[in-house]
Amino acid sequence: MKISITKVSRKLFILLFWIFVWELCSLFINNDILLPSPIEVFQVLMKLFYKSYFWLSVFSSVGRVLLGLLLSIGIGVVMGIIAGLNKYVEELLEPLLITIKSTPIMSIIILALVWFKSTNVAIFTSILICFPIIYTNVLQGIKSVDLQLIQMADIYKVKNKYIIKDIYIPSIKHYIVSGILMCLGLGWKVSVTSEVLATPKYSIGLNLLNSKAMLETSELFAWTVVVVLLSFAFELAFKYYMKKTDKLSVN
Amino acid sequence: MENVNDYEVQIKNLYKAYDKNTVLENLNMNFMKNKITVVTGPSGCGKTTLLNIISGIEKPDSGEVIMRDNSISYIFQEDRLLPQLTVYQNIAFVLKSNMKQVDMNSIIDKYLTLVKLTEAKDKFPSQLSGGMKRRVAIARAFAYKSRLLLMDEPFKGLDDKLKKEIIEQFLRVYSEDKRTIIFVTHDMKEAELLGDTIYNLE
Repeated sequence: MKISITKVSRKLFILLFWIFVWELCSLFINNDILLPSPIEVFQVLMKLFYKSYFWLSVFSSVGRVLLGLLLSIGIGVVMGIIAGLNKYVEELLEPLLITIKSTPIMSIIILALVWFKSTNVAIFTSILICFPIIYTNVLQGIKSVDLQLIQMADIYKVKNKYIIKDIYIPSIKHYIVSGILMCLGLGWKVSVTSEVLATPKYSIGLNLLNSKAMLETSELFAWTVVVVLLSFAFELAFKYYMKKTDKLSVN
Repeated sequence: MENVNDYEVQIKNLYKAYDKNTVLENLNMNFMKNKITVVTGPSGCGKTTLLNIISGIEKPDSGEVIMRDNSISYIFQEDRLLPQLTVYQNIAFVLKSNMKQVDMNSIIDKYLTLVKLTEAKDKFPSQLSGGMKRRVAIARAFAYKSRLLLMDEPFKGLDDKLKKEIIEQFLRVYSEDKRTIIFVTHDMKEAELLGDTIYNLE
């Protein structure tokens, strides 16, 4: 308990230190349009909390990010396993993956604007950016599976579904987890960037764009803080979930 | 007088080489049904390669392996246990593809009792000693319904006391459930203790 209190207080101190640095910079620049103070941003954030469009925008963006991430994970895991088990599929997918990875995010967003409704652009872009990360990690995990265990399972004529469930999935679990952790932050960045360009009716991206157009830098910062906090909350929730499932599987 | 029908496995003119290094050449062997045949010889003489060819892990360059049945159990040099599964689940892993849960439970209990591991059935491999892991591998091999059991230096690395204990347990399980065993070792004491027939590869 003592250790966790020390850890929390240390983290709180680090947070306060950086807010203090922000405050100092703001005092030094002394121009609210260029860099508002943390107190002012906090006050704007408090005002936003009481507005319904704030919550509508937040929930809509959260929904898009969640859907994009879940679909990326699903597609990445399934395709990664298939490609990991079949060299021909891996070779077939390689050019597609290289193309997606090297295509600029802006090109993907602009293409998506042509192909989809504004509400779906962020989901599509998140999938295209996040799924290759999950896919590559799963593929790497499959290749690092202990072949001696596979040999043992083959000799005992174990069905493929059990080999996947009991040998492959546990071996690739850590690779999937690290892929998801990478995608949690990236998913938010890509999704909000897409919203800025696609401007769906309720979205954090649209509010960022409006703040910029009105030169409301404090509001721009407030919305950015919201994105950072949401991304952090996603990561915490995921880590908590993983800790809980690890405990359950040990018990 | 031996009859062809007495053989569980026959090896005919087997040849295997890795690059230009010949490991097995013109090998002919017969393995009697429900007997323990020990294959012994120095390191690198092709003992493990022979087991791998019989089990299908490796293909011979020429020659043939004639088997009465293709159901095989294999006790490897390593334990090859799944780390995230318990002792019980590790044995169930090789059974569940062809067995109902009820039958599986009684079979696993039977073999865990024979190797004296009933109390460790809910433990994970990381919680077991080296000897206990060997016993799980033995129980797993016997629990799987096969006519042929391949054993590749299964007692290697165990100290004498533990080896003696595990060999006793192995013989107890074998006497309850006889099957054809091909046992590879480089230890002549083990070979003389366990083998009904001994082949020496050179």
